[in-house]
Amino acid sequence: MADRRRINGPPGGTRPPVYASLQESTTGAAQRAQRQRQPAELRKIFLQTGMIPTASGSSYLEFEPSASLAAARANPKSLIPPSSALKVACTVHGPKPLPRSAAFSPNLVLTTHVKYAPFAARKRRGHIRDASERDLGVHLETALRGAIIAERWPKSGLEITLTIIEAEDDRWWGDAPDSHDASWGLMNVLAGCITAASAAIADAHIDCLDLVSGGVAALVSDESNSASSIPRLMLDVDPAEHRSILSACVVAYMPARDEITEIWLKGDSSRAALEKGDDRSSHEALIDGAVDAARGANTVLSEAVRESITRSIAQA
Amino acid sequence: MPITILPPVVEDQSPYQADSDDSMSVDSDEDVEMTGVSRPHKRPRLQANSNIGTGIVTPGEVVTDDPQWMRGHGTYMNPLSTSIIATVAGNVQKTNKLLSVHPLRARYTPEIGDLVVGRIVEVQSKRWKVDVAAPLLAQLPLSAINLPGGILRRRTSADELQIRTFFSEGDLVIAEVQSVHQDGSASLHTRSLKYGKLRNGVFLAVTGTGGSGSASSSVKGGVGASAVGSALAAPGGSGTGGVVRSRRQVWTHETANGGGEVDIILGVNGYIYIYKHTDGADAASSTTENVSITRLEEVASSSIYSSQNDDISPQTRREIARLSQCIQVLVQYGVRVDEETVTGAYQASLQVDLEVGDDEDEEDEWRQEGREYLQGAKGGRIIQLLALDLAQQKNRKKA
Amino acid sequence: MSNQRQASSASQVPHLSPAELSYLYTSLSLPKNPIRPDGRSPTQFRPLSAETTILPGTNGSARIGFADGTQAIVGVKAEVEKTVLAADTLDSRSLAQHGDALNREGEEGSAAVSGQGEWVQMSIEIPGYRDDDALPIFLGEMMRESLVGSVENKEEMAGGLKARLVINKRWHWRLYIDVLLLSQPLSYPLPLLSLTTHLALLSTKLPKLKSTGEEDPFFDDDWAAAEYLYPRSKPSSGPFHPVRPPVTILVVSVGENIIFDPNREEISVADAVLAISITRSHDSDALKLLSIRSIDPPSRLTQSGIPNSENVNMIGSTPAENPSQEEVSGVWRPRRGGVKRSVVARMIKTVLGKGGVGEEVLEGLEGVEVH
Repeated sequence: MADRRRINGPPGGTRPPVYASLQESTTGAAQRAQRQRQPAELRKIFLQTGMIPTASGSSYLEFEPSASLAAARANPKSLIPPSSALKVACTVHGPKPLPRSAAFSPNLVLTTHVKYAPFAARKRRGHIRDASERDLGVHLETALRGAIIAERWPKSGLEITLTIIEAEDDRWWGDAPDSHDASWGLMNVLAGCITAASAAIADAHIDCLDLVSGGVAALVSDESNSASSIPRLMLDVDPAEHRSILSACVVAYMPARDEITEIWLKGDSSRAALEKGDDRSSHEALIDGAVDAARGANTVLSEAVRESITRSIAQA
Repeated sequence: MPITILPPVVEDQSPYQADSDDSMSVDSDEDVEMTGVSRPHKRPRLQANSNIGTGIVTPGEVVTDDPQWMRGHGTYMNPLSTSIIATVAGNVQKTNKLLSVHPLRARYTPEIGDLVVGRIVEVQSKRWKVDVAAPLLAQLPLSAINLPGGILRRRTSADELQIRTFFSEGDLVIAEVQSVHQDGSASLHTRSLKYGKLRNGVFLAVTGTGGSGSASSSVKGGVGASAVGSALAAPGGSGTGGVVRSRRQVWTHETANGGGEVDIILGVNGYIYIYKHTDGADAASSTTENVSITRLEEVASSSIYSSQNDDISPQTRREIARLSQCIQVLVQYGVRVDEETVTGAYQASLQVDLEVGDDEDEEDEWRQEGREYLQGAKGGRIIQLLALDLAQQKNRKKA
Repeated sequence: MSNQRQASSASQVPHLSPAELSYLYTSLSLPKNPIRPDGRSPTQFRPLSAETTILPGTNGSARIGFADGTQAIVGVKAEVEKTVLAADTLDSRSLAQHGDALNREGEEGSAAVSGQGEWVQMSIEIPGYRDDDALPIFLGEMMRESLVGSVENKEEMAGGLKARLVINKRWHWRLYIDVLLLSQPLSYPLPLLSLTTHLALLSTKLPKLKSTGEEDPFFDDDWAAAEYLYPRSKPSSGPFHPVRPPVTILVVSVGENIIFDPNREEISVADAVLAISITRSHDSDALKLLSIRSIDPPSRLTQSGIPNSENVNMIGSTPAENPSQEEVSGVWRPRRGGVKRSVVARMIKTVLGKGGVGEEVLEGLEGVEVH
């Protein structure tokens, strides 16, 4: 579907120039970023609610940039940073009455919009939501609907809009799209969206069963010969830091009830190396890993929500 | 085996036979032969003395140009000619000098007094809009229901405010058509203790009077369906089965296997509800006519607007599922649905289970588990048994 | 508007009364032996009829129909296209002119060798839905993801479907998979669409390549010489189709029970709905899991029933200001919350386990004669 309302840039998108000489330098920016965290260590999360005064509830979430990205920003060697970090803004409008033409609903009607800012990723996005953005919206809706107590708000609607200001990469920008070109970054984006939306919903004072948070775990292989190497389980992976990701899983998790409201697993998880004595199948380990990551994000989430309450009490 | 994938079935396209043709042209004042075994070959009287087209006509086909006939439903006349032309595909039907064409498949058209099952689709300020499988939504005014509090009282503004506590979107109601408007839409009422909200059971939609239901399409899938089906076809002139107006639309069925009593409502519109029989409802329906005011209060408020199910035993649930499948099998094979065929099909399904059970005792667990599914090969057997049974009954009556 | 709202969610919301929902839920959650409305066993699928190669104008096609009249047709078309490396990667071709060391690492050429997921395009047409509605997009992404995601290391089809589409470094096939549902779906259409796509891909043929190496491709115009997209082996040696496309199965959990191929009513009372994509693994006998997606259970959007004790129309009831949240037997409550990990694990196990449902479904599909 063509966007007829705006004058768009060239359809293929533009990107900054790359200089071949930089590629050849062994110390330059063309080095792949290395993961410096432990396999079970998460990136730091910045989360704050109530950033947007006009909305009923809002939140802003940012992942800590990887060490290499921080270094590259401090001391730029290339125009293109080696990796990117997620930045998401979420607004919640409602509960507000449904439009007159709408049919009766005994529950709160939830609509979610996920939109990448045109400049969020390396490739420019159009203003109209594409398939992957709609797909993300559906995932997010599933995740949130399980947590909201919708019958407390009959005949009303809740609109949740997420703007992705900076998106996670699907792979290291220096890699050509190879056989593992699936959109892994999308899963990190979804996890971030879930956590951010949950904070914004709490900020809007909508009844929830629990704060739902998102977490990602993946089976990665860093060896150059991916066929022989044994993939390892890592939490909260930055796709730019790994040569190939074999399979990844994102969950939306409610720790108080120990329940999953959304699960999205993809990729071949059959060849994972687990610790000795671990008799879980690898997909179970993957799901458990994602749940652990979500638990970690939840500590930040509940702290951020508590913080916003104390702030508003202090203001009053 | 949890999954069965079959090659596509090519339907028997047997050429139209002259014999079966005249069975399609039905005279409404004449009882239709049900045996279907060897029909006496008789030409319809209609055709003998006038040049009226054979049983089935298609739109645009001239039914007759004899000026003695009057134009009925499903036909039209050109202003300057006397010929009657069909507007729908169906059977020619004549009532005295009135010629009409009954469509083979059509939507339900409400008539006053019809017992229907409907689903509330919209709640307005003083009435409900009800889906009754008709072209237009029927309406159920707030003034046409029994208000709680016993005494037949006028509706108040308080009732209007809490209209959703009586019936809400999605609720199933059993009601009667009170009047039919100019545009064909119906107005319903539930001013009887037999009527009200439905619970304790399952709903299913089949073809209504001479027509098709909205949620379930009748598919002719089975092998030899047409042969058996024609023997059991609905007497109303339709060949596709479904529910027809009949003497009893509601009855209580004594089920086997410890299922207890189960009530079946065949809505004239093709919506069917099968539910556990409760004594309270029985008392209500049997004493509808002369219930005292105090008693009315008791009964009316006990369950009419409840949405809470009673405790229903697994046995009863199983038999309710069996009954609903039997009806689905009937529809699949184009057999009319009424008390006789449903009861017959139920007995046949029990018999089929016995037959199967005998030679499958030592089968593995998978097969055991799938035994209750009737719509596959078992459906054909049920229909065979049913046809046999009905034919025997007919013969016995004749003798 | 109600249509629009239903479409915005991945699953449709049927209109069922609370009493019906409660009846269904209790029947389906009976311990050990659920009673399904149509009498099927928990793992039993509805019988289908299937045929392949029905459309002469396509490279491959299939049709599957349910007994209730729902039918899906899939047509696969292939076009030759020039390989363009994605704009967001390094411009390897210009780099290649420098002839530098990068070139020899084999990294930049990998796109041309192992193929790209974008070369497989899938579109789903469901009557009553716009092509940008959530449901068709969600279904399409779900099926495409497992299709391009399965990377086989078996010699017949190394690199999976994507690699099979590579002609040479400069040219590739683009595969259009068009799924058409002939009527408005009576239940969640995923299993139907997935099985039909599976069969259509198995019957897909690509013209035989006559050129060699890096030449501009030209093909044998004899259709009889065309090669199957999913290669077949000689009837004598092992299975007829060494590699088969993945299959997506819909599983729901109701109470303690796990139920397969749910119809519309069953899915509307489910606690959790998962779509699980599997394929045969060729290193071992076991099945391989390709993807799991949870689908929003429509039961969350249903209307709750009112217990008799709180019904204002009942004598002796006390209309509650705040409806109580606890469960009353026989009264429907919309499902809240998510699903336990143990339930998810059990659902996956029922699909993947030895002699499980996944195996049976694949065996059933293998029994279909593909022309």
